[in-house]
Amino acid sequence: MLVYFLRRLLYVCPVALGVSIICFMLVHIAPGDPLTSVMAVDATAQEQAAMRAAYGLDKPLPTQYAIWLGKAVQGDLGKSIASGRPVADEVGRAVKNSLMLAFAASLLAFPIGTSLGFLAGYFRDSWVDRLVMSIAIAGVSLPNYWLGIVLVIIFSVTLGWLPAMGAGAGDWAWDLTHLSHLVLPAVTLAVVPIGIVARTMRALVGEIYSMDFVQALYAKGLEPLDVLRHVIRNVAPTGLSVMGIQLGYLLGGSILIETVFNWPGTGFLLSSAIFQRDLPLLQGTILVLALFFVVLNLAVDVAQAAIDPRIKRS
Amino acid sequence: MANISLGAEVVMPVEQRRGYWSSVVRRFLRNPVAVGCAVVLLALILAAIFAPYLDLADPYKGSMIKRLRPLGTDGFPLGTDEQGRDMLARLIYGGRLTLYIGLVPVVLAFFIGTALGVTAGYAGGFVNTLIMRVVDIFFAFPSVLLAIAISGALGAGIINSLVSLTIVFIPPITRVAESVTSSVRALDYVDAARASGAGAFTIVRVHVLGNVLGPVFVYATSLTSVCMILAAGLSFLGIGVKPPEPEWGLMLNTLRTAIYINPMIAALPGIMIFITSLCLNLLSDGLRSAMNVKD
Amino acid sequence: MLKKALRQASFAVALPFALMLGATGHAYAGGTLRIGMTAADIPLTTGQTDQGGEGQRIMGYTVYDSLVEWDLTSADKPSGLVPGLATEWKVDETDKTKWVFKLRNDVTFHDGAKFTAADVVWNLDKLLKSDSEQFDQRQAAQGKSRIPAVASYKAIDDYSVEVTTKVPDATLPYQLSWILMSSRANWEAKGKSWDEVAKSPSGTGPWKLTAFVPRERAEMVPNTAYWDKARVPKLDKMVLIPLPEPNARSAALMSGQVDWIEAPAPDTIPAITGAGYKIVSNAYPHNWTWHLSRLPGSPWNDIRVRKAANLAIDREGMKELLGGLMIPAKGFFPPSSQWFGKPTFDVKYDLDAAKALMQEAGYGPDKHMKVKALISPSGSGQMLPLPMNEYIQQSLAEIWIDVDFVVVEWNQMINLWRAGATDPGVQGAMSINFTYFIQDPFTGLIRHMASELKAPNGTNWGHYSDPEMDKLFAEIKNTFDPEKQDEVMRRTHEKFVNDALFLLVTHDVAPRAISPKVKGYVQAQNWFQNFSSITME
Repeated sequence: MLVYFLRRLLYVCPVALGVSIICFMLVHIAPGDPLTSVMAVDATAQEQAAMRAAYGLDKPLPTQYAIWLGKAVQGDLGKSIASGRPVADEVGRAVKNSLMLAFAASLLAFPIGTSLGFLAGYFRDSWVDRLVMSIAIAGVSLPNYWLGIVLVIIFSVTLGWLPAMGAGAGDWAWDLTHLSHLVLPAVTLAVVPIGIVARTMRALVGEIYSMDFVQALYAKGLEPLDVLRHVIRNVAPTGLSVMGIQLGYLLGGSILIETVFNWPGTGFLLSSAIFQRDLPLLQGTILVLALFFVVLNLAVDVAQAAIDPRIKRS
Repeated sequence: MANISLGAEVVMPVEQRRGYWSSVVRRFLRNPVAVGCAVVLLALILAAIFAPYLDLADPYKGSMIKRLRPLGTDGFPLGTDEQGRDMLARLIYGGRLTLYIGLVPVVLAFFIGTALGVTAGYAGGFVNTLIMRVVDIFFAFPSVLLAIAISGALGAGIINSLVSLTIVFIPPITRVAESVTSSVRALDYVDAARASGAGAFTIVRVHVLGNVLGPVFVYATSLTSVCMILAAGLSFLGIGVKPPEPEWGLMLNTLRTAIYINPMIAALPGIMIFITSLCLNLLSDGLRSAMNVKD
Repeated sequence: MLKKALRQASFAVALPFALMLGATGHAYAGGTLRIGMTAADIPLTTGQTDQGGEGQRIMGYTVYDSLVEWDLTSADKPSGLVPGLATEWKVDETDKTKWVFKLRNDVTFHDGAKFTAADVVWNLDKLLKSDSEQFDQRQAAQGKSRIPAVASYKAIDDYSVEVTTKVPDATLPYQLSWILMSSRANWEAKGKSWDEVAKSPSGTGPWKLTAFVPRERAEMVPNTAYWDKARVPKLDKMVLIPLPEPNARSAALMSGQVDWIEAPAPDTIPAITGAGYKIVSNAYPHNWTWHLSRLPGSPWNDIRVRKAANLAIDREGMKELLGGLMIPAKGFFPPSSQWFGKPTFDVKYDLDAAKALMQEAGYGPDKHMKVKALISPSGSGQMLPLPMNEYIQQSLAEIWIDVDFVVVEWNQMINLWRAGATDPGVQGAMSINFTYFIQDPFTGLIRHMASELKAPNGTNWGHYSDPEMDKLFAEIKNTFDPEKQDEVMRRTHEKFVNDALFLLVTHDVAPRAISPKVKGYVQAQNWFQNFSSITME
């Protein structure tokens, strides 16, 4: 197990390095001078050159990359151009809020999606199956940012039950006010993963129920519940990995939902970075999110290996 | 759209046999849902292609006095938008652009990804490692994040959206193509062909592609709905298509505040996205079972 | 850990019901006013604010003071200048470049330090002297272009400052009204770091900043020791929340999360008033325009094209889009302005005349004019930039002008506006859609068109240059008698309109949506507002 873990960890390093190269290059594929907006408007050519030097932009690309990476490893992602604040601080604050939202959405989506998928898989080709699959496909096909707007109008503006925007005043706390802010964005965000998890689970469960060993278990006279336990054990590794990846997608993909709900997370940060052409902020946010995704994938793989010993040897 | 899995699915090569395609068509036609969806999509695509000949109002020209008219208004069967432009025309022309940036990246990615995947899978060894590790790196980004990062850096515009979305979809297609190619390569008759002195190019063309294209194609169709929702999302954020082009995501964006005045009008582009992506998903499912590709 | 999370999750299921209770009395004391701003971030807190007029209004004149301020007490007449930290000012009779400002001697900063003439010098150095220790690039970027007249300054004694202008300039007091005074003692206490000052700034203003979470929230409480007792705030607390997305802003108001929003989206106004909230608005010196590039090669150099564009816009149609909340432009100043004059070019909608002018200029159905235009999807005072610009784009298409938009974020747009039409950042755009504060001679006319203020040295974005215009500007600056100055102003404005120097579109009326619980607010005819008189029921 430890060997597997180490090998997997070793494999992550080049990927992480590649991720950092892509993030670094983001600034350089962007049209225009990344310094246009920091430069004093009346800067002379000399001052501009000095500024370029101060930001290290006068050096060849590989050198710039090495310097940037060196700083990033120490947690220094540079300063936001628009706000002048350190990118690491901005991202840190936002990541907390985004994680909160992603976990909340997962807590909704995974149990619901799994149960629906099990139902559909168990009653394959019945009306239950068709109903669940209709819900799942509808969930996957719905533009969720638009759903968010509709939910706000229903539950905040018309009914006045839930707040329309933000994460609540002050730091996060486990109280009614803060939880109430979480409800609408989390529900909106959960719609797509419910569909995906349900579809995956249905396929897995349906397949296993049609396998010989399940028939053999029934033949041996096992109760349906006991059979179910076997099925769950077989479904768990793949199910886990799908959910793990979904969690990552929730974290990286909530940008539209965060914009709609004014949720102070990474998505919100990204959209302001994009419109302010605040490239260091864009770069830093993407890097942190992508690395998080890499680590998450690693954790999922390891967890999968832990519950499913067959994987280790493959 | 935030989080659609692009995880490469395990796809089994299809055994090639006489009459395969006619049986695929037969099986497909027996699936009423998939056929229905194909008809709807065909109608949408035809409407988009022949929009200029449909005697529609000018989708760019509006009148402030006639803004946000409800459905069924005389002369505006689907009402008007926030600039007083005919919604019917905007939606049909919008379908044009939406389908364009929803389908083109997948088509491009299909060709590029298949080429890369087949090369990696057939060549094996160092070439395989090189291609697949680079693919792994792109895989480390959730698809939405990658699309937003590239589009965000490049700025708004149709071409930029196409580029960023194509980049997003190449890695998953490459992965599928590589895995199918590797398994085909190990098959006996490919070995036999190689032993009989057939060139690599011939083997790939005759034996590999025939087996690989089917599953990869099915997989690619399952990406189209993701791509379309993603593209509309970019426009909704303001980093996709620029105004005044009619595009469903952008229309959702600019009609946002109108939701308080005329919710039906504001809902229309969302409904169009929903219907189209639903049909794409169901059609892809139908193709998958008709072509006997397992997931 | 997991168990706890699960418990919380089951709690979340029951939440909507529990919240029905919570929402009925959104648990704040009567004395807190929560404002939803249009900016995406809290304006710069260190002194000279960013985020345009909104920043100066909400973070500038609240936490800080300037030497000269605006009278914000009346809703019925255009507001004029009143003493701020300076009690009086006058220009030297013999040398009209020398001004003396007498300061109040009873003012202290929030940190307790006394305000003196040395602070004025220190603050001007902060903006103008790039080798001074306290020079702050961020504040300088905001403040420097506001005071182009200033050549030098010195403290005469503890409570008087002498400011020397480059040339005689009667508009100096207007310029200085922008410059906010931050505390030197606080900056020193914070390790001479503006980044640290940003977290807990200190000014002399009627409000003290007590909490600051970037991009999320800022809180202010009254400065009970404020020098103007009439302007000590009556509220207990004021909370600022950036809400750039117009739907989120309106929804936040209607769900009771804020009590006041700036610039409600016109389409949401029927719903807002239907829900019992009030819309307040008033005329103010504002201009929403396309500032045209006059660089060689710009198609806008042709007066026929400029006039045609002005005649191609149906401003009444646009009014529809804005729910009636606008004043159609007839000139650069609003028609009611004392400086409007009698221009001969009538700015109106006349498509035939517009087409005729375009054809005269060599364009037509077969020869379109292609031009790029810089716009931003949001911004302080920008009204509804996307649909309005689309409307203009459609209107101009009628006269064969094909407009391609370059869309940038508001703060970036401000930077590009300062940088000028020659900056590569404008990506070849030949116009910038900007909202102008036109409250005084300098901001109203001079800064846009003076040849010595060509960006980036000033804010003549389009590099317009006309000796005749410069002569008029010189006359304004040298006319120290207010009535005579008004007369020159009128003549200058007539030239602005007759030469169709801008694409003249509309004036805003500064709509705000407020909860009926907000009492005592008087909306001045000004960009800035007084929050001190407000109470919450």
